[in-house]
Amino acid sequence: MAILQVNGVHKDFSGLQVLTGVDFEVGEKERFSVIGPNGAGKTTLFNIISGKFRPSAGQVIFEGRDISSLPTYARARLGMARSFQITNIFQRLSALDNILAGVRSRVGLRHHLLRRPHHDRDLMERSEEILERVGLADQRHTPAQELAYGQQRALEMGVTLSLEPKLVLLDEPTAGMSRQETEEAISMIRRVTRETACVIIEHDMNVVFSLADRISVLHYGVMLACGTPEEIRADQRVKDAYLGEEEA
Amino acid sequence: MMASQKAMLHRVGLALALALLLVMPWLLGSYQLRLFTEAVIFSLYAVSYNMLLGYAGLLSFGHAMFFGWGAFSFAVALNHFPGIPLMGAVMLAVASTTVIGLVVGVLLLRVKGTPFALLTLAFNALVFAIGIKWHSVTGGDDGLSIATPALNLGFTDLVVSSGPNFYYFTLVIVGAAIAFAWYFTRTAMGQSVLLIRENEERMRFLGYNTNVSRLILFVLSGALAGLAGSFYAILNSFVSLDAVSIEMTTKVLLMTFIGGTGQFLGPVAGAFFFTYVQNFLSDLTDNWPLIMGALFIAMVLWVPGGLAGLAAKLSGGRKDDDPDGTLAGME
Repeated sequence: MAILQVNGVHKDFSGLQVLTGVDFEVGEKERFSVIGPNGAGKTTLFNIISGKFRPSAGQVIFEGRDISSLPTYARARLGMARSFQITNIFQRLSALDNILAGVRSRVGLRHHLLRRPHHDRDLMERSEEILERVGLADQRHTPAQELAYGQQRALEMGVTLSLEPKLVLLDEPTAGMSRQETEEAISMIRRVTRETACVIIEHDMNVVFSLADRISVLHYGVMLACGTPEEIRADQRVKDAYLGEEEA
Repeated sequence: MMASQKAMLHRVGLALALALLLVMPWLLGSYQLRLFTEAVIFSLYAVSYNMLLGYAGLLSFGHAMFFGWGAFSFAVALNHFPGIPLMGAVMLAVASTTVIGLVVGVLLLRVKGTPFALLTLAFNALVFAIGIKWHSVTGGDDGLSIATPALNLGFTDLVVSSGPNFYYFTLVIVGAAIAFAWYFTRTAMGQSVLLIRENEERMRFLGYNTNVSRLILFVLSGALAGLAGSFYAILNSFVSLDAVSIEMTTKVLLMTFIGGTGQFLGPVAGAFFFTYVQNFLSDLTDNWPLIMGALFIAMVLWVPGGLAGLAAKLSGGRKDDDPDGTLAGME
């Protein structure tokens, strides 16, 4: 069964048609990637899935439930987490505290007036565990703003995973990384999304083709093609519209 | 090593401060003790205000509506329900301030920044207008006199309306509220408020309904101000419109800014400073607000961290990259 279904999603911003009917499905443990040239509407699509924008028409269905009109925080509570292209963490907090924010939200410890999250051993252990998964165990007390760029990206991923989501939305997870950092990020993403579904927006074809089970190509607001990496590579329309441009 | 030494030092400091507070009635004459009690009450008022300003970054120009609401509802409870126990009246005052905080908060927190600040001012004016016009309940310009009932301790009744008894009563109840406000910074809710100020968008993507967080904070801060207000009523055995006036809002703003928003004890220092300096200046001249105003301007311009920031700088302790201090308070 599909965990995420996007049905006929349209979006226009005061007359400007950004998405004109996007349909796709993501399986329960599938890594699905959306590619497309700049301005194709990838980020808009992401914002609609994660709840920052409402679609002008169409639906977003998560685990069989229409979530098109749910606010961001409600979607997060259902088990959907996103990362950001521009690192969006709590800069002045330690790496551990960044993770803790999501870990305690996951168990509903958000507004308690008496319980202190730092004194909850279970929550602290879970946070440490996630830090380890993204390779930041040694930096637990370092303020996020003092981490190196690659580490900040890893923390960004950690904060996303701190919700223990069923669906992870990754917005250009390797943006601005060096070759080697990218390689490390790919293997980390592969490792941490083994048990979850994942939607990745990415520019870097190398990343997309080595991570995704299925790829869809977004071109000026519509899905041009959708299929396995091999099918996409062989698709003439995709070559003409997108891959060709890259190689030219 | 260092950390445990520091914790030890903190503990010793805290114990000394507590001991000092307990022997105050022996050190001070009755006039001075009253002034000191007033400063403790205003400390809670300022601490509650700093929950909005310092932790959430919400600038309110209407905090006196909660302070005044607490004072008036305490007086109204005493005057309209004869025989009501003292703590019953205090609790009623806090409860009614909580309800008002909820109503005002739901209406106000749709907006942020300048519109929020202006709307708080408007609501403060509205509550003030109610105070003037609803003469039959609030006494209007005449205010309300109150006779504070004795505190029923079970085995005996204690008169706590003035003197050392009132001081100790204030120390226990108002002190507990201040201690809770301090504890609050480490709770899930308190931490969420700090995180929201850091990065609200990410908090929403982590499942936090940040509007609810702000509303809870707003209500809590109002309720604590209401508690301070009801003690202010006992202190004066009287409630006048001054408790809900714009001047009372200005007062908490001055206290908090002078003391410093960045650290928990800043507003407490500000409340003491303000109470004593005002007392001193008003003996010298009727134009004391002028001097207070000048002092405020000087503080904002040259000592943006307030008294607490100044103290930290002089002791060379805290680095300035965490001007809020509260973040460092996390263990």
